[in-house]
Amino acid sequence: MAPFEKPKHPKPFKQRKSFALRKQEVAGIRTKFPTKVPVIIERYHREKYLPPLDKTKFLVPQELTMTQFVTIIRNRMTLMPSQAFYLLIDNTGIASMSLTLAQVYSDHKDEDGFLYMTYASQEMFGLRENATEFSLR
Amino acid sequence: MGCFFIFLDFSTLTYDTLRFGEFEDFPETSEPVWILGKQFNALTEKEDILSDITSRLWFTYRKNFQPIGGTGPTSDNGWGCMLRCGQMILAEALIRRHLTRDWRWLRGERQKEGYISILHAFIDKKDSYYSIHQIAQMGVGEGKSIGQWYGPNTVAQVLKKLAVFDTWSRLAVHVAMDNTVVIEEIKRLCMPWLDFERGACASQEVNGCLEGACALVEEDPVLWKPLVLLIPLRLGLSDINEAYIETLKQCFMMPQSLGVIGGKPNSAHYFIGFVGQELIYLDPHTTQSAVEPCENGQVQDDSYHCQHPPCRMHICELDPSIAAGFFCLTEDDFDDWCVHVRKLSSCRGLPMFELVDSQPSHLINTEVLNLTPDFSDSDRLERFFDSEDEEFEILSL
Repeated sequence: MAPFEKPKHPKPFKQRKSFALRKQEVAGIRTKFPTKVPVIIERYHREKYLPPLDKTKFLVPQELTMTQFVTIIRNRMTLMPSQAFYLLIDNTGIASMSLTLAQVYSDHKDEDGFLYMTYASQEMFGLRENATEFSLR
Repeated sequence: MGCFFIFLDFSTLTYDTLRFGEFEDFPETSEPVWILGKQFNALTEKEDILSDITSRLWFTYRKNFQPIGGTGPTSDNGWGCMLRCGQMILAEALIRRHLTRDWRWLRGERQKEGYISILHAFIDKKDSYYSIHQIAQMGVGEGKSIGQWYGPNTVAQVLKKLAVFDTWSRLAVHVAMDNTVVIEEIKRLCMPWLDFERGACASQEVNGCLEGACALVEEDPVLWKPLVLLIPLRLGLSDINEAYIETLKQCFMMPQSLGVIGGKPNSAHYFIGFVGQELIYLDPHTTQSAVEPCENGQVQDDSYHCQHPPCRMHICELDPSIAAGFFCLTEDDFDDWCVHVRKLSSCRGLPMFELVDSQPSHLINTEVLNLTPDFSDSDRLERFFDSEDEEFEILSL
């Protein structure tokens, strides 16, 4: 394989692959691993505090709860328990932590068959620096 | 709409000049007004509403205080807004703890002891329990150097650490992570003697229900450490998911409500209630001079109470990063809160957080969860996807 560098801000998974290709991929993997859920986890593009994950695509046992899954990701990132970490399903809300991946999958899976999750911490609040610069002009 | 500002001069556009605008009067509406768990009628109780809001402690940017850490900043202008919001939500807890929800501030009235002590806990000096100095310095342990911006969770974590030293209030501050409130964790925190009394407690357990089970412990005169429960949340990515709006409103309607700290992008606010689709808030973005208490302990406290009509903003403008706060003086208060939350999760709207009886047992042993890729699986996978550049990571139990 050509040793080209990974872009710093890779395009979201959905933009890297066509719908047909993604759908085909899920179909294949589901046949091979019927008890595991195909999950795409991406970092919120404006996230500044949580590290990037080295993988995007996960096959997760369907009986795993969201709590367990979040714990795995937290451990991967070696976060302190007091650090804020939120896994938003399909870019909208946080799933109930006691649900299993199978339940979340059946409620929120995308048309292509993947379950999409985005992780983010919390925003910080303060007066924007450029407001000060503005007044100096 | 919230505050209206007059843009005086483009070249001096800062929050300081912006503040001297006009504040829109409170709306004349038949819709109920909810402030920190109390309902008001805007048409008939306007005076009450304003007096209730003015009675809250209002913390803003200050200047000319002792340098933080001896040589640090003497003003928190531009960076302290979330720290000030943290002070406001905790001050509200202290008012519930040492005064009452119905306590009212009367301008110029001789200050009573409990009130003076609360005020002193927030005076901008290094030794006050919850001063800007204490919060900024304790934040270093959370990875925030002095003068850096905080999020709602940052200030919640810091307040939890500072409350340990407040032997006067003896609060139990709990910050619920991962949008999950674990009842057992809170009961242990508020009744730390519970573990020693376990044998005695077990026999008093009614219907196997943990709530209320151990209220009869006789050894300690204090049955319950007053609870400050802070729940940091993220209700969306760039904007608040509208499915949460109804549940967010419900938070302000519970008698235990301490309000919500959060804001608009970059500006932190302390939200104390709502009317219709607007949130009512106290805004820390005003720089006032630090106040030196008098020798007899009395404090010039005019600048600690917001005496203009409160700011308002549309609920959809809320930044999704918030922390909701609740105060439970007694175990009954907490049990009642649990009932409210359970009712909430069965009504419309998406629940903002989950309430569970106990921490799932698998979390006690975190090593089990350090799942590594299953090699037999990945062999199969590599054969299947040998032409792909991105591989699945397979997790197995």
